[in-house]
Amino acid sequence: MKAKRERRRYAKPGGETYLFRLFVAGNESNSSQARGNLARLCEEHIKGRYKIDAVDVLKDAAGAHKNNVLVTPTLILIKPLPKVTVLGNLNDTKQVLAALRLNGDER
Amino acid sequence: MSNQKPLYRELETKMEEAEKLIHALRTQQVDAIVGERHVMLVRLKQAEENLKSSRNQLRALASYLLSVRENERATIARELHDEFGQALTSLHLGLSWISRKLTPGQRPLREQIRSLLATTTSLIRSVKNIASELRPGVLDQLGLVKTLKSEAREFEGHTGIPCRFKMNIAKARFDRSAAVAIFRIVQAALTNIARHAHASRALITLMKRKNNLILTVMDNGKGISRKVIDSHDSLGVTGMRERTLALGGTFTLGGSRSKGTILTVRIPLSRVLIGTTS
Repeated sequence: MKAKRERRRYAKPGGETYLFRLFVAGNESNSSQARGNLARLCEEHIKGRYKIDAVDVLKDAAGAHKNNVLVTPTLILIKPLPKVTVLGNLNDTKQVLAALRLNGDER
Repeated sequence: MSNQKPLYRELETKMEEAEKLIHALRTQQVDAIVGERHVMLVRLKQAEENLKSSRNQLRALASYLLSVRENERATIARELHDEFGQALTSLHLGLSWISRKLTPGQRPLREQIRSLLATTTSLIRSVKNIASELRPGVLDQLGLVKTLKSEAREFEGHTGIPCRFKMNIAKARFDRSAAVAIFRIVQAALTNIARHAHASRALITLMKRKNNLILTVMDNGKGISRKVIDSHDSLGVTGMRERTLALGGTFTLGGSRSKGTILTVRIPLSRVLIGTTS
């Protein structure tokens, strides 16, 4: 029973679409890295099944604040639930994949 | 009790979020802090890198300027010695020849020639001194250790302040540019002692310790304040520091009213020595 529950935590190949919201600050160093890293990870692990909604806090600070974003870069996995928040430039691939529940889908 | 469970979970989530935030901040992965109405950019990492890079550029430039200055000095010294010195020597020889040809009856002319000869001799001496100041020939001929010994003696002669020189590296062969740098550091330190220290004794040491060459110049004068050491106007101190850093060394300068001033320069032997003869 426990094993089944564990399995369900990871993305299935050909399964549901992933929706990410990435809060960045213009083209600042960490924000640019986060953008690049997320695009790469998505292409490598969930190609064709993802949507990234990038929000520039320099243009919409209030929107970021409403989403409880305190710093940039902040990545929120909106779908599939449960929601997950990852902070930083997403350079640590292993940790990011684990946090986003994508490590069961590695190729 | 059952009401406390969600509260506990909420607290745990908040703690996790705080930990994530602290980690991101600590590892400099944050580039903006979001407020209700404003966003504050955090550019610590970039600023640090920019600062480091401009410091390195400045150091490289300073090192280049020092080497250009040394080359210029060497050229001027050579020109002075070869061209001007030769011309003055010819003039001296010519005047001596005329002087020998004069008859006893030409006394006023003889006096005039004698005076011109004296001026020429003095000019030759001046040119020699200036050339040697610009590029101490003794450094090329005798090597660093003997040059420093002679510098200490000259300092004592000019200022009346007894100056000793101690070393344990007599047989070493120094890299030419390193020798010039060390010599210039000692020159600048001695100039500072003569101008500012009000000292009655000075000591220069050049010691080999493990893998380093340690140069110290100390006096028993009135010391030096932190303000002067850190001041960008202290060109002598800045020059000494830049010469040391260009050789991959460390430079410290300190002192107090009771102990005088002590300058310590520590340079890796690999940057200073060509080899040692037994």
